[in-house]
Amino acid sequence: MRYDSITEAIGNTPLVRIDPAVHGLRHIDLYAKLELLNPFGSVKDRAAWNMARPHLSGAAEEGGQVVELSSGNTAKALAVLAGMHGLTLKSVTNRMRIPEIKDLLLLLGAEIEELPGQSECLDPTATDDPLTLFHRTLSEPDSTYLHTDQYFNPRNTEAHFTGTGPEIVKDLDGRAPDWFIACVGTAGSSTGVARALREHDPAVRVAGLVAAKSDFIPGIRTIDEAHEVGLFDPATYDTIESVSADEAIEGMLTLNRRCGILAGPTGGAAYFGAVRQLRVADQELADEEPAERQSAVFIVCDRVESYLSYVRQRRPDLFGRPRRKNSPADLSDAEIRTAPAIGVADAQAWIATGEPLVVDLRSPYAYAALHIDGSVNIVDELFEELLHGGLPFSRNRPVLLACPVGEKSARYAALLTRMGHPDVRSLTGGVIAWRDAGAPLVRD
Amino acid sequence: MGGQPLYLEPRLESRLRSLLHSTQLLHTLTDALGSPLNVVVPDQLADNIRQFRSVYGTRHLSGQIYFAHKANRSSALLRRLAATDAGVDVASLEELQHALGAGLTPDRITATGPKNPEFLWLAARTSVAVSLDTRGELEQLATLVRKHALPRSRVLLRLSGFEASGVRVLSRRSRFGTPVSELEPLLEAVERHADVVDLVGVAYHLDTTSLTEKATALEGCLRVLEECRSRGLRPRAVDIGGGFGVNYLAHGGQWDRYTTELTEAVLGTRPPLTYGGHGYGLRNEAGTLRGTLGLYPAHRPVAGARYLDELLAHPAASLGGRPLAALLLEHLYDLHTEPGRALLDQCGLTLTKVLEVRETEAGGPLLVRLAAKADDVALEEHGVFMDPVVVPRDPAGAGAGTRAGVGAGADAGTEPVAVHLFGSLCLESDLITRRTVFLPRRPEPGDLLAFANTAGYCMDFHATRAQHQPSARKVAAWQEGDTWRWCLDDQYWPTTPVGGAL
Repeated sequence: MRYDSITEAIGNTPLVRIDPAVHGLRHIDLYAKLELLNPFGSVKDRAAWNMARPHLSGAAEEGGQVVELSSGNTAKALAVLAGMHGLTLKSVTNRMRIPEIKDLLLLLGAEIEELPGQSECLDPTATDDPLTLFHRTLSEPDSTYLHTDQYFNPRNTEAHFTGTGPEIVKDLDGRAPDWFIACVGTAGSSTGVARALREHDPAVRVAGLVAAKSDFIPGIRTIDEAHEVGLFDPATYDTIESVSADEAIEGMLTLNRRCGILAGPTGGAAYFGAVRQLRVADQELADEEPAERQSAVFIVCDRVESYLSYVRQRRPDLFGRPRRKNSPADLSDAEIRTAPAIGVADAQAWIATGEPLVVDLRSPYAYAALHIDGSVNIVDELFEELLHGGLPFSRNRPVLLACPVGEKSARYAALLTRMGHPDVRSLTGGVIAWRDAGAPLVRD
Repeated sequence: MGGQPLYLEPRLESRLRSLLHSTQLLHTLTDALGSPLNVVVPDQLADNIRQFRSVYGTRHLSGQIYFAHKANRSSALLRRLAATDAGVDVASLEELQHALGAGLTPDRITATGPKNPEFLWLAARTSVAVSLDTRGELEQLATLVRKHALPRSRVLLRLSGFEASGVRVLSRRSRFGTPVSELEPLLEAVERHADVVDLVGVAYHLDTTSLTEKATALEGCLRVLEECRSRGLRPRAVDIGGGFGVNYLAHGGQWDRYTTELTEAVLGTRPPLTYGGHGYGLRNEAGTLRGTLGLYPAHRPVAGARYLDELLAHPAASLGGRPLAALLLEHLYDLHTEPGRALLDQCGLTLTKVLEVRETEAGGPLLVRLAAKADDVALEEHGVFMDPVVVPRDPAGAGAGTRAGVGAGADAGTEPVAVHLFGSLCLESDLITRRTVFLPRRPEPGDLLAFANTAGYCMDFHATRAQHQPSARKVAAWQEGDTWRWCLDDQYWPTTPVGGAL
């Protein structure tokens, strides 16, 4: 496989059979269309390339900029394609809730604009929502924006009608599957694939999956949001079901751990929704004599790596790590309560005579602004790391720990005492008490 | 009626629920004082302050919670506030006078918003901290202090136009405050007037439900304070305003279902849900939904004190990723907040009497006329969707066989109904709601419809005396044991309840 350009590697993704031992369907073969193996990592590579290709060189001559309303994968693909043609991408969104994707886009050279949130005190006379204003900027006469308009652009659907759909038929030896299950985002892939499959066999049943209304699953719209998409036509789907974020993550874990498919939550939602839908059909097939064999295809949109923080927020249990030694979490309340402490006046006297090492546990910014003269700054997160390895200073050197109100420093004083330090004390009331007592703070 | 009724039941905590169950009292009150009638529950305000305080407490933050006076002009609420440890932010001369008269001492008052010279003078005269909107206002204050030999004035600089690094957050434009890009001349002016003004901090006011935008502004304030310190100024407070929201509805599921059906009604795939097919900002363009739903997110799991807590937990990307609360604390800054609506959550309701229930020829929703104007119950003006609670005139006979000849006979009053609520003003536009409201049973003339939780915002903003119709009178109510007591709003002082608030 030798290519002249990375764009030639878009499409022709594998169709992989899911082991029946995993999904438990007896009469239906379930296949995953691995769109995560596209060069920029998602199903959106196809649409982005198909939409942008005719206009890229022209836009480059005009010195324009590619603009899209995208929260992730389309923006990622467009950012790469724009960069390859000497252009930049501006992604406008109010849905980008995945920090890793934001960072990746910035790294790829994209500009991200976030639309403002809803007004808290509604103004009933306000006429224009931010999106309307956005569209107005695009259509100004001297605008050089190349707006790919993925939610309304028929070339989005076309990419799947001429690419993804026919590939599925080819890989199933010239037959359309009995079932096609897809998540609804821009509706481009579900609509385009459905049309291609039905041209082959009008009996194909198409299931659309949307996100439950109270939930957020990246890349999937809720039913209300789907109505805002120009490419969305409810008649495309035989059924529209909703999937929750928990279910999407459950499906994702099954694909990741048991099938070796490193899908993200969107693919997980498609798998979960597919199996739920097909289980009923499978039972009906079992009741027939003789049982017919059917096939089903779902789309794996993108990869898991970008969604670690999304998963961590919802399933912290998946990231459990072994407990480490010398952690403040191991301390009992009694130990913290009885930790050696010293008030502001006594601390001032002690600093003058006993020369304790004063450790300020606040952040470097706060420390730089104002601190106790002669203190050193070891921010608490770093301090905790240090302690996992043992005492970070000699037992012969007395230590005074300071934090904002004396709460964190008490924990560390208790911990250091437990670790065998003979003379460590926490500044009671912290730097705030120090300030309130009129003791000097410096900025040096 | 077709399909299931689309209820939007209000969230009622124990105090309001108990008050609404006091049917006889509510009817006695409206019989005596007329409809509409506003009832405020001052003790709830003290509870709400405690909830906000506990957020400060768990994060070890000090600083003041200022009740935003503009939310409600009730004297009872303000006097009850004076009996707590919280403060008030006032936005006019009259509000300042009211606050001083209710017993709030100047150290617990802050003056914000657009100001006229009298307001500025009284604030400076009484040593109330002033949140300055512009450099012009700073000059005006400095001149006043010098000319009238007033005490050195404590000021905060209200800022706007904060920029985030990395991702450009398109923030809602604010009319209020000086853009951060014009900070330099503003600080120079503060230094020039150091003999008459004392910079105690910075502030912002952002009208948005977005946590990210507020976090960006707070982070921006931390950077500005650092700039102040590097110039030798000694500010110690950030005032982050309010806008923490209220969760108005009891069930998220009802809200989700309602908004989906509303979308479908706009697209024409189900019968209309509004009077005259109004779309609340949504429109149908060739089968695709366009526009934005102009409604307050009435069901909000994260609102009020919880919203503040989430904002404080937000990491400050440009300052090492530590949570904003930790940065405030470590920098030894006080946090000031100005919640209005959120502090009045569950603090009151508006009672309206049903005057007429009319059936339409086409068999559509019933037309229910109330003894109130749309302006008296301005929920819709604020995009808040919430069903009124029916308080029957005759609780024992609520729909039970007394209404011969109505609909399907004896049971007609116990079936759910769809209604349109009209006001008493002789104007086509005087609709209490444009949407079809579903009630669990048919209301009858003489019943009350109670709009719960309107004390949050909607009680006083719009009330007028059009057509010589009175605007709502106001009473304060409180509990003594199992009994509800009341007095006119003006008569309430924290000493009024026997064995009560104090």
